[in-house]
Amino acid sequence: MRQRLLTPSLLGLPLAWLGVFFFAPIVIVAIYSFNVWSLFPGPHGFTFAGWRSVLHSHVYLHLFWKSVQMSLIVSVIIVVLAYPLAYYLALSGTKRKYILLLLLIAPFLTSYLLRVLAWKVILGDSGVINTFLFWTGLRSPDHPISQLLYSRFAVMLVLGYIWLPFVALPIFVTLETLDRRLLEAASDLGASRLRAFLRVTLPLSLPGVAAAFFFVFVPTLGEFVTPSLVGGASGYMYGNQIVDLFNTGFPDWETGSVLALFLIVVVGVLTVVFSRFLQPQQVTAE
Amino acid sequence: MGSEQEGMEQRRFDRQTLLKLAAAGGAGLAVGRTGIADAMWTAATAETGRLQVLDWAGYGNDGGQAMFAAYVKAHAANKPQFTYMTNEADALAKFHAGLKVDLFRPYVGWVKYFATSGLVQPWDTSKISNFKHLNPFMVKAGQYGGKQYGIPADWGFDAILYRTDKVKPKSNSWSLLYDERYKGKIAWFDDPVENLTIAGMILGAKDPWNQTDAELDKSKKFLISKKHLVRTIWSSETDLWQVFGSGDVWIALAWPNDWVQMKKKGLPVVYMHPKVGRQKPIAWIGMFMLLDGSTRPDLAHAYVDAWSSAKSAKWLEDNYGYGEANTVAKPSSSDLLKVLQLSNPHAVGLPNAYTDRDVPRRAVYAHAWDEVKAS
Repeated sequence: MRQRLLTPSLLGLPLAWLGVFFFAPIVIVAIYSFNVWSLFPGPHGFTFAGWRSVLHSHVYLHLFWKSVQMSLIVSVIIVVLAYPLAYYLALSGTKRKYILLLLLIAPFLTSYLLRVLAWKVILGDSGVINTFLFWTGLRSPDHPISQLLYSRFAVMLVLGYIWLPFVALPIFVTLETLDRRLLEAASDLGASRLRAFLRVTLPLSLPGVAAAFFFVFVPTLGEFVTPSLVGGASGYMYGNQIVDLFNTGFPDWETGSVLALFLIVVVGVLTVVFSRFLQPQQVTAE
Repeated sequence: MGSEQEGMEQRRFDRQTLLKLAAAGGAGLAVGRTGIADAMWTAATAETGRLQVLDWAGYGNDGGQAMFAAYVKAHAANKPQFTYMTNEADALAKFHAGLKVDLFRPYVGWVKYFATSGLVQPWDTSKISNFKHLNPFMVKAGQYGGKQYGIPADWGFDAILYRTDKVKPKSNSWSLLYDERYKGKIAWFDDPVENLTIAGMILGAKDPWNQTDAELDKSKKFLISKKHLVRTIWSSETDLWQVFGSGDVWIALAWPNDWVQMKKKGLPVVYMHPKVGRQKPIAWIGMFMLLDGSTRPDLAHAYVDAWSSAKSAKWLEDNYGYGEANTVAKPSSSDLLKVLQLSNPHAVGLPNAYTDRDVPRRAVYAHAWDEVKAS
């Protein structure tokens, strides 16, 4: 009886939190997207017009696809980069692995904005990289590598840098909880280290890899701060368009809400798909 | 019954006000004429609480204090409290989302829009002692339907800032913003109307502020075809100063203050007013507007009066590099005097510049600009 009362009361607060700060805002955005509520006074009512116009607009869909491509590239590259890092930390047997892990996370102790802005100093026409190239004579000061900053490359580089620790952590956790006896068994049965990695370690760490990929792909897909700081004219992403529709030029909350919900729907579908790979019992196996 | 109660409250208020005035007048005798005026004004306003101002960054307690110091001195109990806006669209969204403020500052192109929106009310110019010193051309630009909806304040131009050591323009034309020779060294400003209007000017649209669908489509396609030349599209001046000052950009659609700031950095820069054919710079004028339903209209008038004084105006010109509607004020810098053409009372109008104006199809322009940015 006591147990029966305890569970709902324990769940009550988190559920209320989720309801008020997650579901309610989504419902409000949905109401705006169907023009049931409108920013401006005057006649308005339920309509699919906003959805129809977005789904038939090559501009918004093209921009969404561009953002998907950028997020995919960032996610794949940093998963590939983070894997060896996590592998070394988890399986090399080094006693300093937690210190190294702390060093990996250390940049997170500073402001997000500061870290993004620091890249401007590094990537600008008069930045660290270009100045080094001038000094070595590889480039003339009149011809710096301009693509380093205010470009898609800059956005992807900075996003990769920002999210790398998030990617490394779930892979590290998976690898660290790996049952080492399986590797010993593989070795006893004559498997080389590469074969043991490909047949044992990698398959068992895939849930962590999938989680890592998902952790970075979802937030970068809706990213707007980094592109607005280092993206310039060509690094404009889907998230920037949503922000602009809400408060730049002339407010269009209906279309902005449709774009925001479209993003949520895509992320929701991806969550369902990825959840097949995210098997908690394997990620946190003892 | 309701009106009778209102009448009683009115009478009570009047009696209280008279008592306050008498007390203020008595106290004022001891502090001189200015003190009397201030004290009487303070007493006359039964308005309470902090004055709520929606303004742009840099115009509040984040650096613009000198512009309203006289107000704060006279109304210490009603100091302004600021909310910041990033543009008029942002302000509009904030109002409709429920933000309550007493006054805000859109620019001249939005006067008609807000005057007809029901969101604002006209000013009583008799309550603004410095009103008589304001530029008549700008004062007129703040009127709609014969009423003074906007009190002109800061003003300036949209023109081209460029580095003389790096850039050699072929002519004084807006075309410099789309010059293939300077690919990757150009910055546009993030505003739908400015960009599409300038494109319309170049492409010969009959009325760049009210382009037909065909003209607008042409302007949009023109901007899309030139976007690859653009390094960044700035939305805050500090971003522009950073990108221009670091040498990442040599040409920008900019404001007079940006020219001042780059000169301060020691960069060789020119602030070019386009003059080819029908091309001219676009002039903007900040217009204080009083919100309908403001509970502190008298304080709002006092605040605007402080902003309109010659002292405040000179401070703005000297420190921010913008013009101010007060015609008595003159900046210390002769360079600035020249760039702002302060000796010309029609600097912001023809034949010198196009005063920014109402855009009947603002939403359509905004959508076209969205497409340019998303391309």
